[in-house]
Amino acid sequence: MDAKLDFLRELGNIGASHGTTALSKMLHGERLTLVVPEAEMLSFSELGNFIGETEEIVAGVYVRMTGDAEGHMAFILPYPSAVTLANMLTMGSDTELTEIGKSALLEVGNILITSYINALSALTNLTLYPSVPDIAIDISAAIWQSILVNAEIADQVTLIKTIFTTPNKIELSGRIIFLPTEAGFAKIAEVLGLEEF
Amino acid sequence: MQEVFVNMGQIRVLQTSGILTTVGLGSCVGVTLHDPVAKVGAMAHVFLAKSRPERDPNALPGKYADTAIPALISQAIAKGARQERLVAKLAGGANLFANLATNNLSIGAQNIEAVIQQLNLFKIPIIGKDVAGNHGRKMRLFIESGIVVVTTAGQESIEI
Repeated sequence: MDAKLDFLRELGNIGASHGTTALSKMLHGERLTLVVPEAEMLSFSELGNFIGETEEIVAGVYVRMTGDAEGHMAFILPYPSAVTLANMLTMGSDTELTEIGKSALLEVGNILITSYINALSALTNLTLYPSVPDIAIDISAAIWQSILVNAEIADQVTLIKTIFTTPNKIELSGRIIFLPTEAGFAKIAEVLGLEEF
Repeated sequence: MQEVFVNMGQIRVLQTSGILTTVGLGSCVGVTLHDPVAKVGAMAHVFLAKSRPERDPNALPGKYADTAIPALISQAIAKGARQERLVAKLAGGANLFANLATNNLSIGAQNIEAVIQQLNLFKIPIIGKDVAGNHGRKMRLFIESGIVVVTTAGQESIEI
C-alpha cells in the first residue's frame, strides 16, 4: 500500500512538473513551486468529507484521458487565483473573471494537463489522449462532485493531487488532480513492472 | 436550529424541526420528501441513476436513484411519515462541463430522469424542482414548513 502510494506520488511529481514548466513558460518565467504531491486512496464515504461542505468558488478545467489507460484530470484554482492568472495571461487588471480571462484559463489548463499526460505517456510508452477541455466556475464541491460522478466512482478512488504556489508576492495557487480509473491505474503499474501492487 | 449535512450517497431524516442541507450539487440530484402533517422531512443526495451490484456491492442505498428512493420513503415512514402524504422536491442534475457528456443525455439529465421515474413508481407527487442547467446548487429543506431553498453561486436564492 505504501509502495503504491509512493509510486503514485512519483507519477504526480513527474506529470505536474512538466505541466507547471509549461505554465511557467507562458507566464514569462514566473516561478512556480510544486508542493510534494499527495496520493490518496479514499473510500466513497471518505470522499464526502474530502470534498467538504465549504462554498468556496473555484475555477476548474476538466479533461478526460483516454487511450491505453483511462482517467480524469482537472486543474482547480481558488477564484482569486483564477483572476490573478487570467490577468497575467491577458495583461489585464480585472477584478472578476471575464469571458476572455475564462478562455485564457481554459487554454492554459489544457496545456498544463496535456503536458502532464504527455509526461505519463513518455514514462510508460502508453498511448494516451486528452479529450476536449472544458471550464466551469462554481462551488468547489459541485465541481469535484461532477468529476467524480463522471468517473462513476464505485467503492474506492485513487487520487493524485499536486499543489503549486509561487514564491512571489502574488495570489496564485492551484491543484492538479489525476484520477486514474482502476483499470487505467493497473495498466500503468503493469507496464512499469509494478504488478505486485 | 439543528442543521444536518447530507453528503454524496447519504440519506438523512429529521422530525419536527431543523434543516437538512446539501452543498454543491453538480450532476448529483438532491431529493427531499416531506410530510406536512407529521412534520417529517427526508433528503437523499443521489450520485448516479442505476445501481451496479456487481461493481459496487456495498454501496450506500442513497447512492443510486433506483435504491435511494425506496430507502428514502421507508426511512421517512419509520420516523412517522405516511406515504400518501409525502410530497417531493428536486434540485441539481446539472451539467457543469459540456465535455463530460459522452452521449446525448448528460449524467445529470440521466439522474433527474431516474429519480422522477422512481417517484412516479411510488406515486409521490413532485411539487417543486430546480434542475438541469450548467451550474452547481445548494439545497436546504426546512422541516417545519417543508420549504426548500435552492442557492446558486452568485445568484439570489429561490424557494421551491
